[in-house]
Amino acid sequence: MILYTPMQLELVFEGLEEMQHAPTREVNIDGVPVLIQDTGPGEGKVVRLLSTDPLDYLRSDLYPGAVVKLFRCTQTG
Amino acid sequence: MSGDQNIWGHEGEYPCTPPENPPEEPNTPPAREPGHPGASPAPQRVQGRTKESMESIKELGASPVPEVKSNIHCLTIVGQIEGHLVLPPQNKTTKYEHLIPQLVALEQSPEVEGVLVVLNTVGGDVEAGLAIAEMIASLSKPTVSIVLGGGHSIGVPIAVAARYSFIAETASMTIHPIRLNGLVIGVPQTYEYLDKMQDRVVRFVTQHSRISEASFRDLMFRTGELARDIGTVLIGREAVEKGLIDEVGGVGQAVNKLKSMIEEWKLRNGVPVQ
Repeated sequence: MILYTPMQLELVFEGLEEMQHAPTREVNIDGVPVLIQDTGPGEGKVVRLLSTDPLDYLRSDLYPGAVVKLFRCTQTG
Repeated sequence: MSGDQNIWGHEGEYPCTPPENPPEEPNTPPAREPGHPGASPAPQRVQGRTKESMESIKELGASPVPEVKSNIHCLTIVGQIEGHLVLPPQNKTTKYEHLIPQLVALEQSPEVEGVLVVLNTVGGDVEAGLAIAEMIASLSKPTVSIVLGGGHSIGVPIAVAARYSFIAETASMTIHPIRLNGLVIGVPQTYEYLDKMQDRVVRFVTQHSRISEASFRDLMFRTGELARDIGTVLIGREAVEKGLIDEVGGVGQAVNKLKSMIEEWKLRNGVPVQ
């Protein structure tokens, strides 16, 4: 990986070692397969869309970092 | 939710489902309207709800495309362009795995007629940046980019990838050599590899803007301009003078330009039947 940035790399990579990755799981939200991370009771954060329908990627409620209510999700896989 | 899965299944398993259609038919016309009668009449970006769209495919044989209130889609590229490594959370990042399918959707969606790329980025991963730049450059729809604040390093190829580019009067673009991160083995091959990676960026920029390779390389390796690095910072008008960016301007000019490009594009391709 080559980072091409005028920013100091120490600043960019600061905390990389201590970074903890919360476990993620695959769910369906309105039929869209999404990878989410549980953030709190009844709430999760979208990590990545797993859909193959490009139009799902234009949805304003499903983007990386969006908070989703878990009652909208159904567990898959 | 199980309904969704059934519908997915039915699509393949039961090409025609006449016994199931009649009871559902009365529900279908209201389903195409916004959910409740009390829904606001204001134009609203209706999300392509899969359940409804699947029902519509079943009932009407057509997939409804999401209604959009604007024919221009604004793509914002901010912070670090994240590559194959998730960056620590203090970085604001643009994620290529989301942007790339989004660009596919923009190319495909009949509602979107033009794309406005707004940049305020400090650069980032070479691969991811070039991937986004190539996607923008290969869109068949009119594209306009505008650099606000900064469009540094790998932001430069993304800015020039659009058909027409703008830069704000105060925005800056840093052009500097690529450096290797991580373990660097001190052998001549390392330099050759680095040079190859750099050539990818230089080639893309020179192919998509008016700047010549010699003058871009000159900017890249200039000494005495940057305090901590070699290279150049171009501010607003300077980027236009060097031929990197097409025009100095703000959002108003960028949107107007995009609108006029859309008109031209429609004339050239014949107005699509809406």
